[in-house]
Amino acid sequence: MTSNPARLRRNEALLAFAMLAPSLLFLALFTYWPIVRSVWFSFHDVLLGDPEIFWLGAENYTRLLEDHLFWKVLGNTAFYTLVTVPVSILIALLLAVALDGKLRGLAIYRSAFFYPVMIPTVAAGMVWVFLYAPGYGPINVALESVGVPQPGWLNNSRWALPAIMVMSVWKLSGYFMLILMAALKLVPSDLHEAARLDGVGGMQRLIHITIPMISPALYFVTIIGVLHSYQVFDYVHVMTQGGPADSTNVLTFYIYQVGFQYQDIGYASTLATTLLLFVLGLIGLIAATLGRRVHYLGER
Amino acid sequence: MTDMTEPRKAFASPVAAFRRNLQRARQGWLHLLLVPVALLWVSPLVWIILTSLKTRTEIFHPEAGVLPAVLRFENYPATLTVAPFGTYLLNSILVTGSIIAAQLVTITLAAYAFARLEFPLKRFFFAIFLLQVMFPIYATFLTNFVTLRDMGLVNTLPALIVPFIASGYGTFMLRQSFRQVPSELSDAARLDGCGHLAILWHVYLPLVKPTLVAFGIISVVVHWNDYMWPLLVTNSDSVRTLPIGLGLLAKADSGADWTRLMAGTMIVIAPLLLFFVIFQRRFVDSFMHTGVK
Repeated sequence: MTSNPARLRRNEALLAFAMLAPSLLFLALFTYWPIVRSVWFSFHDVLLGDPEIFWLGAENYTRLLEDHLFWKVLGNTAFYTLVTVPVSILIALLLAVALDGKLRGLAIYRSAFFYPVMIPTVAAGMVWVFLYAPGYGPINVALESVGVPQPGWLNNSRWALPAIMVMSVWKLSGYFMLILMAALKLVPSDLHEAARLDGVGGMQRLIHITIPMISPALYFVTIIGVLHSYQVFDYVHVMTQGGPADSTNVLTFYIYQVGFQYQDIGYASTLATTLLLFVLGLIGLIAATLGRRVHYLGER
Repeated sequence: MTDMTEPRKAFASPVAAFRRNLQRARQGWLHLLLVPVALLWVSPLVWIILTSLKTRTEIFHPEAGVLPAVLRFENYPATLTVAPFGTYLLNSILVTGSIIAAQLVTITLAAYAFARLEFPLKRFFFAIFLLQVMFPIYATFLTNFVTLRDMGLVNTLPALIVPFIASGYGTFMLRQSFRQVPSELSDAARLDGCGHLAILWHVYLPLVKPTLVAFGIISVVVHWNDYMWPLLVTNSDSVRTLPIGLGLLAKADSGADWTRLMAGTMIVIAPLLLFFVIFQRRFVDSFMHTGVK
């Protein structure tokens, strides 16, 4: 079995491509082809189920700029993401710090905060519809008993989106908490010890020691948070269908409405392409700002 | 093993005792803060369980109190008769099982190639895998739907499976683990005349079992609970999964029958919660694992 190095290298490359092939096939078919096709469709008039498509040029994009609903939906999406992600991370951080160390009942607390992650979004959404129900819903009953007027929650265009946001913080904080707990375990305890002996208070230690030390995990959680924030589609579909008066309509739900309810695949593709740019831009922005400040222990 | 700490305890200084007391006081405060928050977090689950055991009239009369007057279990069989939850359950098992089985094959092969083989354009191909993690499914679901329609797969079980077979995330996770396997091990196997596939199977896979389990658990949770995609590609009970069945039940009841709906919710969330309670360590480790590379 003598073979020259060039041939060996070629064989290794062939094997590598054979091993990548199954993944590449499905990535091509269901990730990259749909994106290319979606961009292509966004310049056309395409109706669901109609094989004929017509070239429109940039018409869908000018329509987008003049579409008041699009801007409203974009605003709702940004509001949702920019509030729920930081709030969830802040709660997760406080919980993780509180649960760090040898606390009695740790496993029980951890399960209590983590179990919502296991629940299907549709089930979570439905339960919260009930919790928010006007009149007999427990949240309103509790508010009434202390004399606070019922805001009407999901039926009120002012409160519906915040109501969904509260639920999504409840649903996701436990996941972030677990990731941050794992990161906290790696922070050397003598750092805290030394700071404590120097009389540095708990809050100061959190800001100046803990947060910089776990910054890679915080960065990771921010990205995950942005990627998870699309789940809002499920909540909107189950809880409000975008209403009242489109106050809970978000970009992902609007794409679905335009594509499947109005069957306008062309314009929906324009929205989907916009979503892609929006997300990649947001992640690029996070990478350029937070990513640069991440502190890796023992590296760099 | 003899206990070496025992004699030391006898000399415990007053400082250590003071520290211990301080620690205990701190714990007391923590519990005081954490218990109400934990109760708040658990209350939706408690509410599901309590409601599923009530009667309809109790729901709409707050003066009936929080607890059910009599524990009624008939909401559970009643839910099972209004919707084919058995079929939904079977479909959920088939779909989730097929996805994870296919994913384990694709990510193992690809991760090995990225971790241990040299080939042209390696970084480019790796970027293709990684980018998938960033692309929201909402940027692709319209055209994926059109593709599956062209293939005649809409409203079949394969439609629920094929978009998820390749996993950039899983490939990345597994590649990291493969790279931590000492190369002496595979070199030794190579000298014994083993090919790459044999080394992968006999040396690498047994060593990365924890990563495979971690990925498997996360993947199962994601696909078991998935709502949006099955919603789009199914339109008959024979292929619907549990979350879709629950959504339909909610629509049919339109908020009128919360007791039955909460019983249905319980049926849908129980399998995963049960697994979580039994394998808590494993679940927690898996989700923790996602953050630490």
